[in-house]
Amino acid sequence: MTKAMSKHTSTQPVSVRPVLSLHVAASLGLLVTVLAVGCGPTPAASFRTNMVMAAKQRLTTDQERQVATIVEAMFGTPDEPVALPETGLDEAKLLLAAGPVRSDIVGRKNGLYREHCVHCHGITGDGLGPTAAFLNPYPRDYRPGVFKFKSTERADKPTHADLKRILHNGIVGTSMPSFALLGDAQVDALVEYVKYLSMRGETEIKLMQAYFELDDDAQGKLPETREFLVDEVLAGVAEKWKSAADAAIPVPEMPADIDLAASIAKGKELFHGDKANCVKCHGVTALGDGQANDYDDWNKAIVDFGREIAGSREQAAKTSTAEMSPDELAEHKATLAWLEKSRQVLDGDSLRPRTIPPRNLRQAVYRGGRRPLDLYYRIHAGIHGAPMPAAKGTIPPEEIWHIVNYIRSLPYEFDGELGADRSMVASGR
Amino acid sequence: MKFGSFAAVALLLCSTVVSAEEWGTLKGRFKFGGAAPQAAALKADKDAEVCGKHKLVSEELVVGADGGVANVVVFVRDKDVKVHPDMAALKNVKAVMDNKDCRFEPHVVFVQTGQPFVIKNSDTVGHNSNVQTIKNPAENKIIPANGEATATFKLDEAIPAAITCNIHPWMKAWVVVRDNPYAAVSKPDGSFEIKNLPAGELEFQFWHEKAGYLGEATVGGKAEKMARGRKKLKIAAGENDLGEIVLDGKMFQK
Repeated sequence: MTKAMSKHTSTQPVSVRPVLSLHVAASLGLLVTVLAVGCGPTPAASFRTNMVMAAKQRLTTDQERQVATIVEAMFGTPDEPVALPETGLDEAKLLLAAGPVRSDIVGRKNGLYREHCVHCHGITGDGLGPTAAFLNPYPRDYRPGVFKFKSTERADKPTHADLKRILHNGIVGTSMPSFALLGDAQVDALVEYVKYLSMRGETEIKLMQAYFELDDDAQGKLPETREFLVDEVLAGVAEKWKSAADAAIPVPEMPADIDLAASIAKGKELFHGDKANCVKCHGVTALGDGQANDYDDWNKAIVDFGREIAGSREQAAKTSTAEMSPDELAEHKATLAWLEKSRQVLDGDSLRPRTIPPRNLRQAVYRGGRRPLDLYYRIHAGIHGAPMPAAKGTIPPEEIWHIVNYIRSLPYEFDGELGADRSMVASGR
Repeated sequence: MKFGSFAAVALLLCSTVVSAEEWGTLKGRFKFGGAAPQAAALKADKDAEVCGKHKLVSEELVVGADGGVANVVVFVRDKDVKVHPDMAALKNVKAVMDNKDCRFEPHVVFVQTGQPFVIKNSDTVGHNSNVQTIKNPAENKIIPANGEATATFKLDEAIPAAITCNIHPWMKAWVVVRDNPYAAVSKPDGSFEIKNLPAGELEFQFWHEKAGYLGEATVGGKAEKMARGRKKLKIAAGENDLGEIVLDGKMFQK
C-alpha cells in the first residue's frame, strides 16, 4: 500500500499540491475498492453506449438509459452474451469468443475476441479500441452493420463465408492481419461474435432512431413490448443477416475462350470512358490520383455532425439571453448543454475524420481480395460505405469482366505506358 | 337496446362514409423572418472545366427576393391515411431527379413508396448518386453522362434522405419518401399546396434541410410551437389556407 502511494507521489511535481492530494485520495479510494472486492478477476467488462448516435438524436439521459437497459436485456454483456432465438446466432460459438481470455479444458481457449480483436475493434465492436487512432485505415466499426468486402449486393450483409474469408486472409494493405493459424472452429466463433456485435450495434442505433418517430402520447419513452422490441426491431435487424446468403451477386462466368488482349482493350476503353467513369477517381494513370477526395459515409456523417454542432455553438454564443422568457431561457440552456455534450462526444467517441483515397490500381493490392471474382463484386456492387458506386444496372456483366481484365493488367503495364493515351500491347506480358 | 346500438353503428358508418368523400386542400406560403443571409458560393473544383462555369451557390437555404423560403417539406404523418381516387395513380408517375449543371434539380424531390424514382444525368460529365436512406437499402449508382438509373423505395422514411455525389462533393439534394401522396415541397416563392386531403384532423410535419424539423412558426400572426415540427390541423372540405407562415431566421443559422 505504501509502496503504491510513494510510487505515485514520487512522479508528481511538488508544485501541484491540491491535485496531488486528490490523486492520493483517489488511489486510496481505489485501493479500498480493490480490497473490498478482493483479488479476483478484473471488473466485469461492459459495452459502451453509442454516444455519437445518442447525441445526434438528441436523446435525454433517461432515453440513453432506456436504450442501454433494453440492449443489455437483449444482448447481455461482453462477459455473458445473450443470443435470443430471433438473432439466429449460435450461443455456444459466442461463448467461445466472449469473455476474458481463459482456458478451462487443456487445449481449448475462451475469450478469443479479447485475445485477438479488441485492441483495434474495441470491446463494443465500435472500432474504437486503444490502437484505432494509430491505424490507417481505421478499424471497422461493426455497429452500423456495414461491411465492404463481400459476395452480396451493396446494401446486404456479408455471408458467414465472406467474413471467414476476411479472417483467414486478413485485409491486404490495411492493419487487419490473417487469423488463419487459429483454425476453423475459432475463426468460426469469432465471425459469429462479430455478427453478434454488429446486430447489437444496429439494434441500438435503430432504437435510438425510433424515439424520433414516437407519437406525443408516448412521452418520449419507447414501448417496452415484445412486439416492438423483438418482433419489429430485433427481427428486422436479424432478418438481413439471415437472408445474406440469398443476396449473392449473380456472376456469369467469364467466357473460357475469351480473347484476353481484346478484353483488356475494351476494359481500358470503359475505364477511361464516360459510362463507367473509373478514371474520375482512380485517375488517367490508375494510380488512384484522380480528382476524388471525398469521405466515406461514416466519416462524412461525423464531419457533417461536427459542422452542425460548431455552427450552432457559434450561433448560440452570439444569442442574447436578455429578453428571453423563463421558458425560452430554459430551452436555450438545454440546447447549450446538448451542444457541449455533443462536442465532447465527438472529441472522445469518434476518430478524426479522414478522406478516403481511391485505390491505386497499379500495386496489385486489392483489399477485398485479388481473385477476378472479387474485383467483379467490387465493380458490380461498388463498396458499401465508400464513395465507390455500383455498376449494376449500368454496365452489363461482360463489360464488367472487361474492366476486371484491364485492372488485372495494370500492375504489369510498362512504366512508359502510364496514361490514357498510350495503347497497351498485350503480347510479351 | 340491441337495436339501438345497431342504429348507432349504422349512423357511425354513414358518417364516416360521408366524411371520407370530403376532401380539402392545404396551402400556405413560407416566409423568412428577418434578413436572409447571402448564399455562399460553392467551390466547384472537380471537373472544373464543366462544373466551374456555372457559378454554383449553396442551396441549403434558398430565399426568394420577396422572402419566400423554398424547399420546405410538408407531409402528413398519419399512417394509413385515406387516399383520394385521383391521387392513387400518382404512384405510377416517375419522380425525377436530374444531375444538371453539376447540381441536383430539383433540390428536394418527393417520392412515394413503390413509385419509380429516376435519377438522370443531363451533364456531359459522369456522376454518382449516393442515397443515404435509413430504412431502405443503401444505393450508390453510377449515373453516366446522359444516362439514368431507376430506384424504388419499399419503406417510408421519417426523415428526408440526403443524396450526394462523391465525384462532386458539393452536390447535395434530398429525397422525401412517404407511403401516401400527401406531401409537398415549397416552391421558390415559398408557397406549397397539398390537394385532395381527406377532411378531418391530420398531423403534419414540417422540415427544412438547414433548420431540421421546424420547431416554431408564426401562422397568421400567431406564434406557434411545433414539437419536432409536428402540427395537427383540421382539414375542412375545400380550401384550407394557412396564409403566411413566418419562419424565424434564427432557426436556419447553423
